[in-house]
Amino acid sequence: MTDFGQALGPAQARRRTDPRHVLTRYGFFVLLAVVFVTFALLRPAFASEANLNEMMRSAAIAGLMFLGLTWIIAAGEIDVSFMSVAALANMIVAVLVRDGAGWGTASLAGLGAGLLFGALNALLVGVMRLPALVITIATGALAASIAAALGLGTSISLSQTGFVGRILAANLGVVPLVALVVLAIYALAWWAQERLTFGHYIYALEQNRAAVVEAGVPVNRILVLLYLLSGSLSALAGILLAAALSSGQPYLGNSYFLDGLTAVLLGGMALKLGKPNVIGTLAGIFLLIGLLNGAALLGWTDSQRQIVRGSLLLVGVSLVVLSRRRNRT
Amino acid sequence: MSPDPAQAQRRTKQVGHILNMERIEKRFGVVKALDGVDFTLEAGEIHALLGVNGAGKSTLIKILSGVYSKDAGTIRLGGAELELGSPRAAIEAGIACVQQHPELVGDLTGAENIFLGDEALRAGLFQRMDRRALRARAQALLSRFPVEVDLNAKVADMPAVDREIVAILHALRRDDIRILILDEPTSTLTEREKASLFRLMRSLKAAGIAIIYITHRLEEVFEIADRFTVFRAGRNVASFTASEARAQGISIPTLMLDRESGDIFPARDGDGTGTPVLEVTDLSREGQFRNVSFAARRGEILGLFGLVGSGIDELSKTLFGALAADGGTIRLHGREQRFRSPAEALRKGMFLVPGDRRAEGLTLDEDVVFNTTLANPGRSAGLAGLLRFGSNRRATAELATRVALQPPRLDRPARAFSGGNQQKIVIAKGLYCKADVYIFVEPTVGVDIGARATLYQIMRDLSREAAVIVMSSDCDEVHGLADRTLALYKGRPIGEPRRGTSRDDLLSAGIMGAVPA
Amino acid sequence: MTRSTILWRGLAFVALLAIIALVFQSQSAAYLSSGNLRALARHMSVQGLAALGLTFVIVVRQYDLSFPGVASLGAMTLGWLIASGAPLSLAIAGGIGVGAAIGLVNGIAVARFRLPDIVTTIATGGVAIGLSYFYSNGTSISENFFMSGILDINDRRVLGLDQPFAILAGVALVAFVLLHATRFGHAFYATGENRVSARFSGVPVERYVLVAFALSGAGACLAITLLVASSGAANVTAGNQLLMPAFAAVYLGAALFGRPSVGATLAGTLLMSAMLNGFTLLAIPYYYSDAIVSTVLILAIAGFDPRITAVLGQPFRRTSEARP
Repeated sequence: MTDFGQALGPAQARRRTDPRHVLTRYGFFVLLAVVFVTFALLRPAFASEANLNEMMRSAAIAGLMFLGLTWIIAAGEIDVSFMSVAALANMIVAVLVRDGAGWGTASLAGLGAGLLFGALNALLVGVMRLPALVITIATGALAASIAAALGLGTSISLSQTGFVGRILAANLGVVPLVALVVLAIYALAWWAQERLTFGHYIYALEQNRAAVVEAGVPVNRILVLLYLLSGSLSALAGILLAAALSSGQPYLGNSYFLDGLTAVLLGGMALKLGKPNVIGTLAGIFLLIGLLNGAALLGWTDSQRQIVRGSLLLVGVSLVVLSRRRNRT
Repeated sequence: MSPDPAQAQRRTKQVGHILNMERIEKRFGVVKALDGVDFTLEAGEIHALLGVNGAGKSTLIKILSGVYSKDAGTIRLGGAELELGSPRAAIEAGIACVQQHPELVGDLTGAENIFLGDEALRAGLFQRMDRRALRARAQALLSRFPVEVDLNAKVADMPAVDREIVAILHALRRDDIRILILDEPTSTLTEREKASLFRLMRSLKAAGIAIIYITHRLEEVFEIADRFTVFRAGRNVASFTASEARAQGISIPTLMLDRESGDIFPARDGDGTGTPVLEVTDLSREGQFRNVSFAARRGEILGLFGLVGSGIDELSKTLFGALAADGGTIRLHGREQRFRSPAEALRKGMFLVPGDRRAEGLTLDEDVVFNTTLANPGRSAGLAGLLRFGSNRRATAELATRVALQPPRLDRPARAFSGGNQQKIVIAKGLYCKADVYIFVEPTVGVDIGARATLYQIMRDLSREAAVIVMSSDCDEVHGLADRTLALYKGRPIGEPRRGTSRDDLLSAGIMGAVPA
Repeated sequence: MTRSTILWRGLAFVALLAIIALVFQSQSAAYLSSGNLRALARHMSVQGLAALGLTFVIVVRQYDLSFPGVASLGAMTLGWLIASGAPLSLAIAGGIGVGAAIGLVNGIAVARFRLPDIVTTIATGGVAIGLSYFYSNGTSISENFFMSGILDINDRRVLGLDQPFAILAGVALVAFVLLHATRFGHAFYATGENRVSARFSGVPVERYVLVAFALSGAGACLAITLLVASSGAANVTAGNQLLMPAFAAVYLGAALFGRPSVGATLAGTLLMSAMLNGFTLLAIPYYYSDAIVSTVLILAIAGFDPRITAVLGQPFRRTSEARP
């Protein structure tokens, strides 16, 4: 019996018994639960079926938009164009539907725009190895500008939301159908991240690019895939938003920018001790939506909520840096 | 009648050669790194490559592992001629190399690092990772050798020797590796760790893998190597077996040292009577060096000899305020100092010519005037920090002449100069500071022989106005240049700075820790 | 960089500017009129000040994404101070001071605590936007503006120049001297190009990173002061239009002249303003401007990346080598 501890090996034994590790690994979920329970106690409306349903729907759309971003940041790169790509897809759908196209055609066009911008980022950053931040600032601005131009600077309201609206409104009990679909996508993503070489290389890439290149892994192809994924999923989120808001909003990207980075970095604290991961991002999204929604019910102003967002991001990045620095020594 | 045994032995020897390199040449600009080198390797032997820094060992193995291409000569592997254009081609040919600082991913386990890029049955981004199978494969690979490593631990948490073993197993993850190159695998290992690495090397040898093993540590080579090849100044000066060395009384240090290089050193003229400028007493830094004591005087050059890992680099940075000391004192002009930053050390009259001049000494994209005047803003700038362009340029031109900068083009970026001339720019920067103590670390690495003589003369001239300390892993350089010498072995000073220590004694002290008689 | 390459690059810049001017002049005769050139200069003043501040951050090889938010906060602070009757000089100092203070926070976070610059400055920028709502709950402030004299900043003329442009010229001169004629400028470049060697040369690198961020914040707020003066109101979205043009100006200039510098940034700003002004003149809606700016930025980075230029330059080199 005593051999058991030794059989585990010293590192594993240490990992299992260190309570601090368990706390940082799962503490985030405890925090999440505390936030939800607190708001539910303070404002019963928070836990109402309608509110929960609405929060899950928002979380699903944000989840789509931030999935690619999660892995891009995990791989040590950055993408600040995702929210503008969503806005562009959103406006393309709105314009086409307004002009009489079907929702199917319009959605395909929106998705195509997302793929196009994903491919542009992939080419410039993944293949040509240009600096990711400045390039995605520029491609993001390009997408945002086209989005604004499509609506001549204003939003476009839609009279009907087509089959996308029906999908979005569909519920299974309290849970929206899209939330279930996005959950399934995240489950698949978690599997790819944890069980496929793809996810394995993403994290190795962030730590020692030279080692991964030396081992013969097609590093450029990974980055190309990540930017394509980010572009197309962001576009998908933009399409859903066209139906959710029954309008095209050229500036909808602004509010998702901080939220995306916050969810990814803060969520990185969950499970992987500072490394962005898909489950963490999902938890981060729920924390943000819970906080912002609850704060709104408590009567907080937009500015106060904006400060909460910025501060959370600051806290998140500090936690990530500190925990990883401690982990390393 | 039995056949002539010597002849038979010769025949088997020839059959046993798996690698033949003949008349290999390689130039870097004007420097001839390899000057017609022959090298042979037999199947299943451990072959030590020996030589001082810049003798050509690294260049040879970089050619063999496909990093550099040779300028001339032939490489035959198992009889067939071979062109090694890339590291991949070398691996395909069965030649794997473990770098001195192998690239590993710290957060991955040992098993994951061993099979990085080969996790699944087929290569690709979307292959199923079977971590249990991966562990089993790694364990199976490991179990072929008599070493114990916890392959489930993260590499970042592993001791140095386990990381080295992981790197070796990563190189051996393919079954068809016939030649393994190990570049200074023991430089950071303790004695016990070394024994475990040597066990691994012996079992690889038993498995028929030939090992080329580069080291600076002579005390350990007889323990492990079957044959030795000594390099000097880009040539292979001797190849022999361990028994030949013993039978013929071959002295490896004597072979390693360059007899002709004596000419490039200026005459020693320090008489040791100058006043001590810098006095160091029992200076220590945890894990890097301990109880180092010496005094540096104006009018002489003090030489410190130590290999990579001996602590000289850290010692130089501690003296310059870039690292903090754990114990001991530094006195400058008799007053105790605790430099909190290089800026403070500079202000008080210290100057460091760092060991890695490109990474630590120069702003490569800026011109010579910028680099020369950067460290002494009190002199280069006047009221409100405005630069004195005219006088800075004149001063730089003067210093460029003094250090014989070639070409003397002050508006060229430092990047555009050769290694030796880059070093001259760093020295000009030091001269511009008019410091009282100059510390030179590895001053002539990557510098050709002509420029070396100039640099040594500059250092000698400088010693007449300031205390000069030279720290180097080139024993010849320390011995030939300095008035007094001291060797550091694994962070520990061997004896005290002395005049007239012989080259062999200094070398033995630095590579084996042998106290000079 | 040798003199001849600077000359060559300068010529390339002039040629680009001439092409832009020619194209717009052919479309609208008013382009090169003195009235339009004054409008161009005004536009350039705001963008140039923000870009000059950013230049310091780029010289020390960091990124600052907070300055749009910081500029909004600076605008609202300025507006609030004016509305509550503070003297104009104090109000302007307050607005710029807020910018420098948040820049300092960025600098401390990045230089001292070694937080990643991109995410940190995005976060502080977000907080700054939130704070900017506090003064008036997000509505724009224009109370007391007429009496305070802030509008004069925009309207006054100095030495025959519109005051905004005179301010840009003055600030650019100071920045030029600081970055290119003092030891501090050398220290900024040394910090950016090789932090270890800078430290070994006695440069307190952390301090320079810190100051660069503070200058970036202050520059953004100075720029926004001019914008507030010309529009006659402070609002919370004032800074939104600063980010892209500033990055584009610095990168375009750096691409043209081989490295970031005060001259390069001014050249980049002039090119951007010349284009944007032309589009305004042709009554092309504002929302196209970011598309143009970002396309130019992408082309500049991709076109001047050393590897790309090597590939593009190859045919020429091969023919010149082939010649005996």
